[in-house]
Amino acid sequence: MKNDKDHSSANDEALVEAAKQGDMGAFEELVARHRDKIYARALSMMRNEDEAIDLSQEAWVKSWQRLNQFHGESSFGTWITRIVINLCLDQLRRRKRRRTESIEEMDEESGGVERQLPVVTTNPTERLERAELRKRIDGALEQLSHEHRTVLVLHEFEDMEYKEIARTMGCSIGTVMSRLFYARRKMAALLANLKTEDLK
Amino acid sequence: MMNQEAQLKLQAYLDGELPAGERAAVEAWLACDAEAQLLLAELQNTGRALDGHGADVKLPETREFFWSKIEREIERQEQPEPVISRHQPVSVFWWLRQWVPFSGVAALVVLLMILVVHPGQSNAGQFGEMEIAADSMGADVFRDQEQKMTMVWFYDRSGDSQFTESSPLATVNHQ
Repeated sequence: MKNDKDHSSANDEALVEAAKQGDMGAFEELVARHRDKIYARALSMMRNEDEAIDLSQEAWVKSWQRLNQFHGESSFGTWITRIVINLCLDQLRRRKRRRTESIEEMDEESGGVERQLPVVTTNPTERLERAELRKRIDGALEQLSHEHRTVLVLHEFEDMEYKEIARTMGCSIGTVMSRLFYARRKMAALLANLKTEDLK
Repeated sequence: MMNQEAQLKLQAYLDGELPAGERAAVEAWLACDAEAQLLLAELQNTGRALDGHGADVKLPETREFFWSKIEREIERQEQPEPVISRHQPVSVFWWLRQWVPFSGVAALVVLLMILVVHPGQSNAGQFGEMEIAADSMGADVFRDQEQKMTMVWFYDRSGDSQFTESSPLATVNHQ
């Protein structure tokens, strides 16, 4: 399956066509181009490096197997991102089935205290260095339930519309809207270092 | 305090998901409601903070190593799996394993009947000891002299046999 042809100058469309003909070298070039983004998406959803690596690898294997189903309706990058998102969602669902959701998470689902949090009037991230901001956002994302984090990731990072998120997650648009709202409010509070205890 | 419907409407306005007809109404509301303005600003700030987050994340594996894992997995999955035919001929060993217990039992029953039907040729109606060839099988014998009847129970010691009936397998009336 080795192919020594130089693919670095070819565009994604040409690489996809070559890969569909069985050119593994072309597919390797696609992997090299998009692997960081695919990993980043898996990491943002799973919050675990090893799982993110495994799931992104699985996404690449699946994309090779399903390459003939890709007809260019979207960019290749978008297509492979959807594959890794679906794999992450499947994994999160399996994990959720294995574990009883905590009362806190159920509370969060129905609104919890996030709706009543005081509005953060200043921009808490305004003067933060990029590395510090990234650290804070990572920490805040980690504290969200996977449903809230997923909605936020799909909307903010993947620019998906409510309808598309609902379809991807298998829930109603109303649920997407409320999850997104609570996720944003909780993020705002966490980024401002507000804790729910402050409300009491 | 703003109700949930109003909050979600404000968010939909921010995300451009509100029908054109409703946008004007939200803008009019925003113009005169300080609480709504603050909430909108907070939602916008959160969005800005997240903007571009994760763009600098790098897969912590080299190009060659990551690709080698993918390539190996693709090759592994493309290997044809051994086909197990539904009509595969059953091995002789399988048949032997199935029929050995039955034939053992049948042989014992036949032997027993010969001894009972022709007691003179045996040890005058005394059964003496009988050996059972299969280790997994046991037998109990009950003999009623008055009724001139012998009952033999065969049972499976391993517990996975089909001989689970509690009734005797053979009942022999003495002549």
